[in-house]
Amino acid sequence: MRVSLRWLGDFLELPTTDPGEIARALTGLGLKVESIEHLEARWAAVVTAKVVSAEPHPHADRLRVCRVDMGSEVLEVVCGAWNFEAGATVAFAPPGARLADGTVLEVRRIRGVESNGMICSERELGLSDDHEGILVLPDEIVPGRPLEEVVELPDVVFELEVTANRPDAMSMIGVARELAAYYRIPYRWPEDDYPAIPGAPTTKVEIADPAGCYRFTLREIRNVRVGPSPLWMRRRLQAAGVRPINNVVDVTNYVMIELGHPLHAFDADRLEGDLLVVRRAEDGETLVTLDGVTRRLSAEDVVICDRTGPVSLAGTMGGESTEVGDQTTRVLLEAASWDPPSIMWMSRRHGLRSEASARFERGVDPNLPPRASARAALLIHRLAGGDVLEGLIDEVAVPFAPRRVDLPLSEVERLLGPGFDQGRVVEVLTSLDLEVEGSDPLTVVVPTFRPDLSRPVDLVEEVARLVGYDSFPETLPRGPGGGWNRRQKARRRLVETLAGLGLNQALPLPFVTPEDLQVFDHPADDVIRVTNPLREEESILRPSLLPGLLKSLRRNVARGVSPVGLFEVGRVFIRESSPDDPRIPNQPERLGWALVGSFGPADLAGRSREVDVYTSTGILRVVVHALGGRVALQPDHRPGFHPGRTARVTDPEGQVLGWVGELHPLLVDRYELDGRVAIAELDLDRLLDLPRATTAQPVSALPAGGVRPGFHRSRGAAGFPARRLSGRRRIRPGRGRLRLRRVPGPGHRHPQLGDPPHLEGSRPDPGR
Amino acid sequence: MNPQLAEVVEAAPGKLAAVQSLEELDRVEAELLGRRSVLAQLQKAIGSLPPEERPALGRDLQQARATLVELVETRRRALEREIADRVATADRVDVTLDAFRLPLGSRHLIYQTIEEVCEIFVSLGYVVAEGPEAEIAWYNFDALNTPPTHPARAETDTLYIDFGDPATEPLLRTHTSPMQIRWMEAHRPPVAVVVPGKVYRADTIDASHLPVFHQVEGLMVGEDVRFSDLKGTLAHFARSFFGPQTQVRFRPSFFPFTEPSAELDVSCFACRGGEPGCRVCGGEGWLELLGCGMVDPNVFDAVGYDPKSVTGFAFGMGVERLAMVRHSIDDIRLFVDNDLRFLRQFP
Ligand SMILES: [Zn+2]
Repeated sequence: MRVSLRWLGDFLELPTTDPGEIARALTGLGLKVESIEHLEARWAAVVTAKVVSAEPHPHADRLRVCRVDMGSEVLEVVCGAWNFEAGATVAFAPPGARLADGTVLEVRRIRGVESNGMICSERELGLSDDHEGILVLPDEIVPGRPLEEVVELPDVVFELEVTANRPDAMSMIGVARELAAYYRIPYRWPEDDYPAIPGAPTTKVEIADPAGCYRFTLREIRNVRVGPSPLWMRRRLQAAGVRPINNVVDVTNYVMIELGHPLHAFDADRLEGDLLVVRRAEDGETLVTLDGVTRRLSAEDVVICDRTGPVSLAGTMGGESTEVGDQTTRVLLEAASWDPPSIMWMSRRHGLRSEASARFERGVDPNLPPRASARAALLIHRLAGGDVLEGLIDEVAVPFAPRRVDLPLSEVERLLGPGFDQGRVVEVLTSLDLEVEGSDPLTVVVPTFRPDLSRPVDLVEEVARLVGYDSFPETLPRGPGGGWNRRQKARRRLVETLAGLGLNQALPLPFVTPEDLQVFDHPADDVIRVTNPLREEESILRPSLLPGLLKSLRRNVARGVSPVGLFEVGRVFIRESSPDDPRIPNQPERLGWALVGSFGPADLAGRSREVDVYTSTGILRVVVHALGGRVALQPDHRPGFHPGRTARVTDPEGQVLGWVGELHPLLVDRYELDGRVAIAELDLDRLLDLPRATTAQPVSALPAGGVRPGFHRSRGAAGFPARRLSGRRRIRPGRGRLRLRRVPGPGHRHPQLGDPPHLEGSRPDPGR
Repeated sequence: MNPQLAEVVEAAPGKLAAVQSLEELDRVEAELLGRRSVLAQLQKAIGSLPPEERPALGRDLQQARATLVELVETRRRALEREIADRVATADRVDVTLDAFRLPLGSRHLIYQTIEEVCEIFVSLGYVVAEGPEAEIAWYNFDALNTPPTHPARAETDTLYIDFGDPATEPLLRTHTSPMQIRWMEAHRPPVAVVVPGKVYRADTIDASHLPVFHQVEGLMVGEDVRFSDLKGTLAHFARSFFGPQTQVRFRPSFFPFTEPSAELDVSCFACRGGEPGCRVCGGEGWLELLGCGMVDPNVFDAVGYDPKSVTGFAFGMGVERLAMVRHSIDDIRLFVDNDLRFLRQFP
């Protein structure tokens, strides 16, 4: 919603003109200001003026010499436009004035006549592309005023983000009402008292679909003269982001922005028959909408029909065949109230989001049509000279009355805290045009323009909003605790271990393609599919982490980034019921990795070991060690894996955790990789649930792996005397020769048969 | 002191100072303290002295020996160090070379961010829970006060799947909020839980949209949870995450499952409040951080809590957005591209 500050001035006198402060007020009310736009005149020193006389140019047929009264003086100017006569009010740029394109006017001689400035067209002023003739202003404008005043410039436009629950705020009057409540000042409705002539529309209305249409009003205006709207209205519409079309259509748009009620004008003479029927469309019916698109209708669409069939998509867009154009003289003005979901689905179905549908799908006040219609009638009468017929057709299918909501004061304090006595609550609610009766509980009468207020809690929000969210204190409650569970902590350790090993955690999108399924020999019907994917690439939920990892590997390699070692912890989707909830699929978490190129410590020449199956088993060993469990490996076959270089991983009870190994050479090729690719995919739950040793084992006295740790043999920098390191040095005078001494370490004993070998994975968990 | 001894002790430091090798030191040591040294000769001669002179010479000998041993050992220590230094210096290498280059691993920035966010709430007594990504409409919409006519349920917004009973409208969760419902169904109040995880939307991939991204959801329910608790908790979070100087702004908003609802903006940490053309906030001075609100009574009804006896607040934030804002990342696709040159920037 674009809100012009000048236009807002029609409805209330704000206590400030500072755009920043007004923006803060709007944002604080929940009408977030997305941007503030400053509209400036693109000219300088252009003034209003009266043409005193317009005489033919003595030396040029196509030019005239005009005398122009600009208030302070009368100047003579040569003009090439013919769309005005003496007496017209125009925009005049005297010498020294600047036009939109930067031109500064000077006194010039044109065909021998001195010309003191220029009578301007809209294009020269940057107001529109119109350069057919000069800009003619209304006669009542006095000469000598800066032109900016006439077109309400400079102006400020606030771009508001209006939430889906606030149809009322999609209008100038609604924004004015909010600001009036905020500043505790009055606001006023625009005039809608039109002079009527006797009579009523001859066209009748039938609402055949009360589920789609709550109310339908129709008004007839005769002897309309369609033409361009006056400058002020076009300028306001442009500020609001609406393209001016003609005075009748512009009025309907203007009232939509002003009051929030979309209207539609039919050319009455282009409608067939004297009955408009509101009904659901029949499958296969078509309608050419105002944008020239032929719409194929379905049985869910709500349409307005004349004798020939649909002539308008309800609340969304009118039809081309009954559009108001230059020839129109008799207008039927529709102001109707529609079922919001019907309009929403219809506009979505047709990809047609109009200003009208944006309002109707939020829910326009069903009691606003007569007032909106009256306001539009007045404006059409003024701008297009129409005669408004007195009678209004007003078919009400579903009546709406103000809602009554009981609000116990305790409910306010329960949610908002202390400090909300009756006086304060009543003051806030009445400032929003809600009527309040009784005392605790208050009975609040909610007008139909606020469909979002139906429960006590909704009124509590209004109180909070108007006193300002900023005014509440900040308190910091504590929860009962719990933090990360054991499984989450173990998973974190797993991720940290893999990162510590030098692998990089990846996060591919959790989808696979039909090709992925095919190369992994995965049955195409054993997957879960998205029924409404935007692209085929996002149509199948992954049954395995490997395709995503392999494609990430490929992207890196294709960009010259190699070696690559990626891992992922994430869910896969299995076509079976979840053990926790049979209504949803099983979606276990898995650990997967994929490496290509050389991996491991690299020497000075950058050499390290090329990856293969042992890379995978080596990583597995560290992972299992970090988790404090034990696993067993057995050669196995697995689709996608190398038939001779793959192991099945089982836990001590024989349950399968997954597979580690190499990618099948055929798949290496399919994924456009080179050499060997080390891969693994493991079930995370089983991996994190591996049984852990909880009792300490005695540490073997045997020197581990044949190294005798008890011997402090020098293994430091060459040349260091070993006894330096023994810590047991005695000075022996007279024995000057350096000798390596073997000193038994603490706890040393000779190995004995029966000592257990040192086992990986049998270590107790050091208290995580 | 015996003059011979005194001479030897006096001359010893000079002699030792001239010694340059351990072999030479052994020789000098023998000369000073060995069998043929002045000390040894005097020791032998001690028996031939008159008894009354023996103790004095004995003391002198003991003192001289101690002094000489100390001098020799001091020199030996110094020599050993010199020798070791010489040898070690010859072993010198260019320590700036990468001759044992270990691969540089990393945890994904999204997971790090999730952990950091959750940790802030864990320290406030929350439990961390995770839930399924494939859901049914009851948990994703209906129980969250989002009726069947709500636009978010349109196929243009939500991805639906072909599993189970179509009447349950199986779908990919569009937010982490379904876990609010599952958690409350399984636990009695008081409740304080944060839920990280993947969420899915029918969005076309571009620089600011992915069909899959991450959220962290939060929920606190109790007998006396108020709007000020919501404000205090989330302001604490914002200051913990973006720094203690961070200003917060709560503004009214709308979500079907909260009432009152709010959005939380934080002051731009880059420009500290509205520098024109700031590349982080675009000059607005504020960054949209998360949506939140007091739990709607209809949500409590849906899970069997009594809305008359409990109140609560809930919030949800986009993890990618948090990470993008904080690390000046301008293309969300980098998170799923898995280019090592990106991943390694955030170990
Ligand atoms: Zn900034």
